[in-house]
Amino acid sequence: MIQHFIPSNLNEALETLSKHNCFILAGGTDLMVQKHVSTGVLPHFEKDILYVMDLKELDYVNLDSDKNIHIGASTRFIEIEESPLVPEIYKKVIREIASPNIRNMATMAGNIANASPAGDSIVPLVLNDADVVLVSVNGERTVSVNDFILGVRKIDRKPDEMIKEIVLKPQELNYFYKKVGSRKAESITKVSFLGAYRVEDGIIKDFRVAFGSVAIKVVRNTKVEKKYIGKSVKELKVNQVVQDYAKLIAPITDQRSNKEYRHKVAMNLLKKFLVDLKGETNE
Amino acid sequence: MEISFILNNKKVTIDVTPSMRLLDVIREELHLTGTKEGCGEGECGACTVLVNGEPYNSCLTPVANVIDKEVMTVEGFRETKAYRVIADAFANQGGSQCGFCTPGMILASYAVLKKNPHPTEEEIREALSGNLCRCTGYNSIVNAVMLASKKGIEL
Repeated sequence: MIQHFIPSNLNEALETLSKHNCFILAGGTDLMVQKHVSTGVLPHFEKDILYVMDLKELDYVNLDSDKNIHIGASTRFIEIEESPLVPEIYKKVIREIASPNIRNMATMAGNIANASPAGDSIVPLVLNDADVVLVSVNGERTVSVNDFILGVRKIDRKPDEMIKEIVLKPQELNYFYKKVGSRKAESITKVSFLGAYRVEDGIIKDFRVAFGSVAIKVVRNTKVEKKYIGKSVKELKVNQVVQDYAKLIAPITDQRSNKEYRHKVAMNLLKKFLVDLKGETNE
Repeated sequence: MEISFILNNKKVTIDVTPSMRLLDVIREELHLTGTKEGCGEGECGACTVLVNGEPYNSCLTPVANVIDKEVMTVEGFRETKAYRVIADAFANQGGSQCGFCTPGMILASYAVLKKNPHPTEEEIREALSGNLCRCTGYNSIVNAVMLASKKGIEL
């Protein structure tokens, strides 16, 4: 018989995690599907459950003195989307996640911890070098979102830890985001692309590219990015960049799309980003 | 476990497993069958209920997540003036055929009109984007919500 823990505060939650190996359940919008059995039948959870959706201490969006944005683990997508502190690019991504009902329930921390290759909010977080702060009775530790996700539904979480918050670095770039799916809403991403740049006097000062749903994790390669930082936009050759990234993504064939389609679409999106970059900067 | 929440403005306390889907609590334990199960995985919106005024998919909500919160099903909403305006608009515009999606559509419509009393067509479609309908083709539903917004749901 599994146990159900409904902590009234964070300390209680951490005490519980120090003694019991639990599923950490916030909105439940993915876990309740994974464990679904049938109508009128209890979902099948194989270990104890810790319910964290209503931990008010983790429901916040704050700015610190270095302009980093801290998002508590129990903060739902709807709250993040409505917060004046959150940059527009995250809101753009959030608006295309699932449906309004699901965004009223689901948390960004849950999206990260679920570690689906198609997790949409993970893409801008990896592009941003965002961090998660993990907390346990033994203290806190910070790890980048990219390092926290180890593989498909695998995360670097010790059994006594839970996510306390997500930390977004300040970042002012020009963004191009595209999510490709079957419909405008309630659509699991086939391919997503997020490109960002900053150009001053025709020189590339910042250049970042991330792909979603084309590998077991979000694909971003800072070595390739650094090749182009410092170059002039005039020197930027679209085909060269596409060649660099073509080898870095490894989409699969599944019930939604085949790998050739995903690869082609991903490269087309990259091309469009680069063409727009050159066009917008008149280079 | 004894779980308490406010259902349609009345406090209820039931002894259920905390992971039981709110949808099953509503339909099987409390015998309110206005809320429907369409897909059981959060994609169709037929199970929509309002939790503290916000539309949730009750098929994805463990009942533990609504402790001490206000839950409204279509049966509760039916008693309000706002329901009357929305239901009349649906009838006027043919926004309901088989009726299966209708409880969810009506609650989602109320939620958007409460937040945004004069939505554009695009805003209505976006707000109802989590509710599927196989009968109407959606236009009559969108027109119904637009008509209800013009009449005003009198909060």
